[in-house]
Order: sequence, then C-alpha cells, then structure tokens
Amino acid sequence: MNNGPSQPSDEDIIRRVIGGDIDAFESILVRHKDRVVDIVRKHVPYHEVEETAHDVFVRAYQSLATFKKRSRFEHWVSAIAVRACYDFWRKRYRSRELPMSSLSEEHQGWLEGVMQDRSDRSFDDRVSQEKAKELLAWALDRLSPEDRMVLELVYLEGRSGRETADLLGWSVANVKVRSLRARRKLRRLMAGLVEA
Amino acid sequence: MKLFKRDHTKLENLLIRAYHERERPDVDELWQMRVMSHIRSLGPVRSGRGYITLFEQSVWRLAPMTGLLILILVGLLLTLDFMPDYEMAKILIDDPVEFTVLQWFGV
Repeated sequence: MNNGPSQPSDEDIIRRVIGGDIDAFESILVRHKDRVVDIVRKHVPYHEVEETAHDVFVRAYQSLATFKKRSRFEHWVSAIAVRACYDFWRKRYRSRELPMSSLSEEHQGWLEGVMQDRSDRSFDDRVSQEKAKELLAWALDRLSPEDRMVLELVYLEGRSGRETADLLGWSVANVKVRSLRARRKLRRLMAGLVEA
Repeated sequence: MKLFKRDHTKLENLLIRAYHERERPDVDELWQMRVMSHIRSLGPVRSGRGYITLFEQSVWRLAPMTGLLILILVGLLLTLDFMPDYEMAKILIDDPVEFTVLQWFGV
C-alpha cells in the first residue's frame, strides 16, 4: 500500500508488531480490511463474510513472522484471504453443514426465456439479477471446493493462471487443468438445467 | 432445448455479472474491536521460527535425496539378486563361530 510520507509503511508496522507491540496491528487491520472484505464477499455467503474476514486477520497475525519483505503485504494478505475462503468451502464440503441451494421451475422458465431472447437485455431488471445470483449459487454449490475456487478466480474474476496459482498456492499447471474441468462441469450443469 | 456455444457464452456472461453484483457487507468498528480483542488474546507474535517449523523444513529439504537414495538401493538390490531367505540360510550354514547367530536369536 502506498502511504503518505508521515505514515509508517506496512513493513515498519509489522516490525513493531513482531517486536511485541500488538496494538500496532490495528493499523494493518484498518489499512487492509476493505481489500480483505472485498475478496471474501465474492467467495463466501453474505452472512459468513465477517467471520471469514475475522479469520483472515487472525491467520495473518499468527503468520506475521513468516512474511517476507520480497512480496508486498497486500498480495500476501490477499493470498491468506483466498485460502481462508477455500478452507471455508472445504470445511463445509466435509461436514455438509448447509443444504444445497435449489432451483424452482420458475428459474428454469426464466433461464429458457433468457436463452431464447436474442438481445442482451435479459439481465437488466432486479428480478433477473436475483435469479442469476440464485442460479450461480446453485451451480457453484454443485462443484467441489477446488473447482469452485478456481472457477471463481479464473472465469468469474478473470485472473490469470499464474495469479490464481499464487493466491491458492497451487502450480500453474494444476490451475489450468482444474479450471478447464470446472468450466466443463459448469457448462454441463447449465445444459442439464436447460435441456431437462 | 439444446445449448450451443454462443448460448454458453451468453450464460457465462450472465453469471459473471451476477458474481460481480454480490453484496458487500460493511464491517463496522465493533467487528474491528472483536478482531483486535481476539488478536490481543493470542499474545505476542513469535518472531523466531519454532523448532517444529525448522524440523518440517529440514525434512522436506531431505525428502528428494532420501527418495533418490531409496531408488538407488532398490536398483542395487535388484541387480545384486539379493534374496534374504537364501542369505540368512547361507550365514547359518557357513557360520564360522559355532551357533553364534542362532544364539543371537535365542534358539
């Protein structure tokens, strides 16, 4: 983060925190909370954002000593945020805590209408936006945590393979293979819905 | 209804828009206080890397060499035609010191 001349850099604050000044971490929290919440809200349900963002800062604090000055702090904390979201879905996938979102015939009818409409105006009203969000949640719920994360990062956010690999801590080849498979699964899900 | 490539593209664009339209909750000061209170309860950050971390790092550094060593040993055993049963019997039969080996096994 680019700070003014009077403001200490992230590295200075980290040094203070490591030196025992725990309260100094609050500056880090204030500086980076918007970025973290912005990442987290895209990957986890709305009501879980605060809890997951909380977890991100706790993890960042606990591993602060491993932060290397070679990378920028915002990139480092972004990777922690993405991995916390991935862990959220892995945990949920294992425990099957929540019932999967379901679609009604109304959704199917809406989707067919969108497909038949050759114009691109099908998404303009609020009802359509809500339906599209529910459709997305339905499709993502049917993917594994790995497929979900890679699909969101690569196709929905438009990040590069390398960037995604850095954020998830995977190899670039793994990201490429997984993202192709995940996209194919998404297309199959959509086709199954429309063609049913 | 059959979906074609352009339909998939249209659908994907729709989902991308839906993805970016997701709501953003505002984290308030109370949230910030909760996080800081949690962090204070954890105590100071340990600046040095713990012994366990150092041990884990050393283990992973040694892993490729260990793997290579295992491969070499397996290769050697295969080329030397090593048969443990035969070798053991040979030691017992050729034992120059009377029954020493048998005594080791408590026989």
